[in-house]
Amino acid sequence: MATILDLHSHSEASEDSRAPVEAYLNWIRLRRQERPVDGIVLTEHRQFNRDGDYRALEDKFGIMILKATEAETDYGHMLVFGVNEDILHRFDFANVRIPAQELIDEVARMGGVVVPCHPGRPTVGLCEHYASRPPLQNVVAVELLNGGSRRGEDERTAELVAKYGYRATGGSDSHLVSLIGVCATRFEADIRDIEGLVRELKSGRYEPVDFRAPRKAVPRAIPEQTA
Amino acid sequence: MHSLEDVQIGDNIGPEPLFLSKDRVRAYCNAAGLAGVPRFTDDELARKEGLPGMITPGNMSAALVGKLVTDWAQPMNGRLVRLGTTYRSPVLPEHHLTLQGFVTQVDHGERTAELDIWIENEDGDRLVTATATVKFPPKA
Repeated sequence: MATILDLHSHSEASEDSRAPVEAYLNWIRLRRQERPVDGIVLTEHRQFNRDGDYRALEDKFGIMILKATEAETDYGHMLVFGVNEDILHRFDFANVRIPAQELIDEVARMGGVVVPCHPGRPTVGLCEHYASRPPLQNVVAVELLNGGSRRGEDERTAELVAKYGYRATGGSDSHLVSLIGVCATRFEADIRDIEGLVRELKSGRYEPVDFRAPRKAVPRAIPEQTA
Repeated sequence: MHSLEDVQIGDNIGPEPLFLSKDRVRAYCNAAGLAGVPRFTDDELARKEGLPGMITPGNMSAALVGKLVTDWAQPMNGRLVRLGTTYRSPVLPEHHLTLQGFVTQVDHGERTAELDIWIENEDGDRLVTATATVKFPPKA
């Protein structure tokens, strides 16, 4: 059975989001026809929310909630899945200049997986760093679809994926309740926990999926009428 | 809609089309004491700061978002009690913008609604995102 997960979201545990996890789940329930996600991964900025316990919410809504981290490295932002005590002991996620190659290799060695996110975004994405520095080794996948991307950013990532043969994921990067699940990743396998997610990310049996609705035409304001 | 009892999660706020002329941005700057800040009033001087041209002050964007919320809430006697904004990209004048959002949470005990709001450009890029809390009067 396939599993669809939004691999990139921020709750109010991140300093730039005010979205409660329960509100995310309510929204998914409301919009499940359009965004049929089975679960979300909370990827809080520069931290692993070790104390967050969402089991009661999972039971209430029937939606899986997994936890990961969005780390900041010398090659841009990267999602770290499978965070465990060894990884927390090895890396200080509050550091905004974590060496990316070390992060990728060490996390893999300690049982996790690193996925660079929004690679096409200026300053914080992989593409810009690749323009001036050697490419990273052992990259398993990158986030091809990001719900917060501006025009051209995902297209730049597509070129990166084509050039280096990376696997591709999707995630909403939601900081707002109403944006949860707009992009996600469809896995061939049944995933029930973070270990399963890490295993499948390494397997390559997945694809990014885009649930963004086509933009509705909004009549343009006439300048003289808006004064 | 007449009261909080009519508000539901998922309700639309807007969409409201908006065209911000440079003159309108300059008029805001004059009123807000920003007339001496060239990045908000002069294309050439703004470019010297590395910007694509004059940009809309963040406070003006916040005010536009706030007005969308108060226009929605006022008929129900709701009051905007909190507005939080994130500035993702400069809002450039002389573009066709859209303000819109959704009701994301309703608390009948606290008599509040939480809203997501954003300003987007012609490409659908969300330039400014916001969340707002609206407080409603007690149930009659």
